[in-house]
Amino acid sequence: MKKHRKTIQYIVLAFVLLIGGYAVGNSLFASSPVLKAGDKPPAFKLADTAGNVHDSSEYRGKPVIINFWGTFCPPCRDEMPALQNVYDKWKDKGVQLIGINLSEDKLTAESFARQVGAEFPILLDRNRQTEKKFGLKQYPTTFFVRADGTIEEILIGGPLTEEQIEGHIEKIMNAK
Amino acid sequence: MFSNTKCECGHQNHVGTVLCESCGKPLTETGADDFAPLEMRYDGVARRSQKENPDLIDRVWNFFSSVKIAVWLIVLTLVAASVGTLYPQENVFRETLTYEELSQYYRENYGKAGEVYHALGLTHVYSSWWFVTLLVMIGTSLVICSLDRVLPLYRALSKQQIRKHLQFITRQQVVYAGPAPEDRDAWLERFGEQLKKRRYKVWRDGDALMAEKNRFSRWGPYINHIGLIIFLLAVLGRGVPAWNMDQYMYLDDGETEQIPGTNYYVKNEKFTVEFYKDSELPESLKGTLRPKLFNTEATLYECTESCDDPTKEPVLRAVETHNIQVNHPLSYHGLKLYQTDYSENQRLISVSPVIINKKTGEKYGPFYLPMRNPALTYDVGPYNLTLRDVFLDFGIDAQGRPMTKSRDPNAPAFVFRIKGPDLPETGETYIYFPNRVDKVRFSQDQLNKSVADKLDIRVDSMENVSFSNYTTTLNVRVDRAMPFVWVGASIFMIGVIMGLYWNHRRIWLRFDDGILSLGAHTNKNNYGLRTEVAAALNKAGLSVSEKSLDNRRKTD
Repeated sequence: MKKHRKTIQYIVLAFVLLIGGYAVGNSLFASSPVLKAGDKPPAFKLADTAGNVHDSSEYRGKPVIINFWGTFCPPCRDEMPALQNVYDKWKDKGVQLIGINLSEDKLTAESFARQVGAEFPILLDRNRQTEKKFGLKQYPTTFFVRADGTIEEILIGGPLTEEQIEGHIEKIMNAK
Repeated sequence: MFSNTKCECGHQNHVGTVLCESCGKPLTETGADDFAPLEMRYDGVARRSQKENPDLIDRVWNFFSSVKIAVWLIVLTLVAASVGTLYPQENVFRETLTYEELSQYYRENYGKAGEVYHALGLTHVYSSWWFVTLLVMIGTSLVICSLDRVLPLYRALSKQQIRKHLQFITRQQVVYAGPAPEDRDAWLERFGEQLKKRRYKVWRDGDALMAEKNRFSRWGPYINHIGLIIFLLAVLGRGVPAWNMDQYMYLDDGETEQIPGTNYYVKNEKFTVEFYKDSELPESLKGTLRPKLFNTEATLYECTESCDDPTKEPVLRAVETHNIQVNHPLSYHGLKLYQTDYSENQRLISVSPVIINKKTGEKYGPFYLPMRNPALTYDVGPYNLTLRDVFLDFGIDAQGRPMTKSRDPNAPAFVFRIKGPDLPETGETYIYFPNRVDKVRFSQDQLNKSVADKLDIRVDSMENVSFSNYTTTLNVRVDRAMPFVWVGASIFMIGVIMGLYWNHRRIWLRFDDGILSLGAHTNKNNYGLRTEVAAALNKAGLSVSEKSLDNRRKTD
């Protein structure tokens, strides 16, 4: 009888710890829906303008700059040349730059990139799904991601200057 | 304090027993109140967890086993829950906002108090770790309080002794004492019959009698607790991401979009809004547009192929169509789409223009040109068109380049390379504005220069234009916990009804030295019990008034 009771106590308390722990832990460690420095960017799988599929996992282990842009956003348009120049300078040192177009037609994105001479990989978001995953609210938004996959800085707004971009590249390159 | 737990009847009681588990003799008497009515809670049995040398686990258990603690937990939860209603909670915002944005919102709308309210985290009370902790503790307390009480009570009620201690009988709240009738056996038989008529079960042990009815009503509170626990688990279950979703979608007519985080796509076939007529409106509102009904004709699709391939269009299969109206959501496998809002935005969906050779007057086409994802080449009569660029919301940027001002087709412009009669081998560039106002506003003919003299692209009739007048706002929700909330609430009600509408009544009777002693107990409605006992005694030949049975008001 006594022994039986003890077992019930253990079972009940174990359940409490399990369910309660999960519930409390969930609310305690619930990641805020807004990304911030130190977080890992969400995964994505998108096609580039040439029709090749890119998975975010292929950039793992590399410092990455993710620039969200659209042809409807003047600062996005204005910073494209700066991004391309910086990319030319740093791509051989292992920095990856990707521009994610904000769910426009492929034609629109491609034609604009060609006009401004942007040759870095342009991925095409569809239906704003990736943009939503990243919780974007303003354009452009640029994520500087360290090689370990954590966000060093999120720059909202633009246009960015080459110095600004390079300043952050140095930070993500040195964070090894 | 609980050193000697053995009753004079020889029964060994558990620590904390108030009334002997066997004969009912009061065990923890101090002497002063020896004649007052007994404390009959849980039939005087000890709570399960009462032990002499509690270890850590026992202490935790005892903490949760206390009703006092339970009451405090409930009070704290109620206070926290009501504090959360002072200002709007964060989940009312459709967008996800940063801490700073929220802080600013509360400061601007509710002043310093709002800012403090936000800083204290009271803007998300119900999902805060401490509120969830309170809920978990209440749940634990419910389980442990119930277990500790229902099991001993069940044991006590299922092996009741018929012959109770005299003190147990005389100290009930409903009592009778009087001279014993001549023929005890015959009288007991008659009295028992009377009780049976009143749906009592009657047991006899020599000249002692016990009668009982509606014992099941005692389980009401515990069944109601089971309901509450299911209810609480369901509420906690809403924290599981897959169990809960709440987001908004904005769709023009004819637009299909994926519901983020799911394999479903929703299409707004057509949104319609109906306004009140002036005759239907009160004086003060006449002349204003008051929507009477808004309706989104929606189709829900499930992706069956190429769902995860960004290079291909997903293959969709329609699974449900529904006219979504306020309070009439589209519902499919737990996914619910509610009509929340709409806005007026006149936007082209597609046009089917024709090409006119201005020299000959010949007309070719029409060809289908959707605003979103148009084809890249068109063969129309002798003409060949290649789409070079699209500007959905045409404008000019600071550098004088053409651009689109937004992603919505507010002022679409298509840039074609056209080859054909009277045109150079390499083709000519031609910019086409499907909206007539845009054509004038951006001077299409001047932009196209000499080509404008050779040909014209235009829409012949309104039949060849399809446009959207409204953008509908749909709220997409998943709340898988809801059925469990209902189950919990129903079980709760069953428990409440069991406990409230029936009373557990018991009557004990014995003879001692020519004196008949009767005691009766109920967990509620003593008045009803007295009426019943008095009626049964009267019918059995003992004249008693209902009032005289009340032990609580007796003065000696």
